Amino acid sequence: MEIKTSEYRIWVEDAVIHYEGTMRLSGTEAYQPIMAMMNDVLESQPEEITLDLVGLEFLNSSGINLLARFTIEVRKQKSIAIAVKGSTRIPWQSKSLPNLRKLHPTLQLNFV
Amino acid sequence: MRKQVGNTGIISTFKAGSLRLTLFAVPLGLAWKHCGITSDFLGDFYSARAVRGSVDANEIRHNVCYLVNEILENAVKFRTSGDIVIETSLENGNFRLCIANTISKEGVLRFQDVLSGLQGRDPSELLIERIERNAADPNSTGSGLGLLTLMSDYSVQLGWDFHASSDEESTVQLATYAVLPLP
Repeated sequence: MEIKTSEYRIWVEDAVIHYEGTMRLSGTEAYQPIMAMMNDVLESQPEEITLDLVGLEFLNSSGINLLARFTIEVRKQKSIAIAVKGSTRIPWQSKSLPNLRKLHPTLQLNFV
Repeated sequence: MRKQVGNTGIISTFKAGSLRLTLFAVPLGLAWKHCGITSDFLGDFYSARAVRGSVDANEIRHNVCYLVNEILENAVKFRTSGDIVIETSLENGNFRLCIANTISKEGVLRFQDVLSGLQGRDPSELLIERIERNAADPNSTGSGLGLLTLMSDYSVQLGWDFHASSDEESTVQLATYAVLPLP
């Protein structure tokens, strides 16, 4: 599974969802195809889902809402763990990703 | 009619030496691209004084870019017509921003209602509450997280100035002021 434009690329390998580039889509509706792809991974019921954001240089607040919504979807499924991999080099990640742990305290947040 | 909301202490005219840009009204899809291009440009512009490639330069570039992008996305989404005027400067180690555009009278009431809900509360709590509310509502379209992430995650101060030259006017001039502390 892959979604690719000139500005960003999202692809899935096993239960790891990789994000790369700059995402400033115009709202919840515009992010829907990406949410659908993430939900497909959730529906495959893996033990753990990883969001790999190390290559995601920029994400607007509607995109942060997407990550938060997905975190809440995973929270509803007690048997599925979630890990988020971020980069200390990318300022929005160290600022905003800790919010995901407030939503779901067992979420593993790792920075490289 | 004039009403100021939020951190009204930051609402003031810009000193000489500020940078002013005008974005002409264009169709929404193109205006959206202009948001990204403009915020990237201002991020690069204001980080140029820091050592290239340093942690500070990276932080300034990103933080300015995120702030401008969020306020500009709102301006593009909610403006009725006409230009968007962006004014920026560096003052006392802070990045200062003002983005001015017109909004509809109905938009004013809705927006002032949203803003009154932000007063006197901890923005990081409001952010989490808002995220939970968005997730519980399958029909929610706007995330409403722009202003909240700025206040909660970037320590941005925000103030809003609503101005209409007369009660008969169908549109209102909105100026959004922001102050971002820089490293």
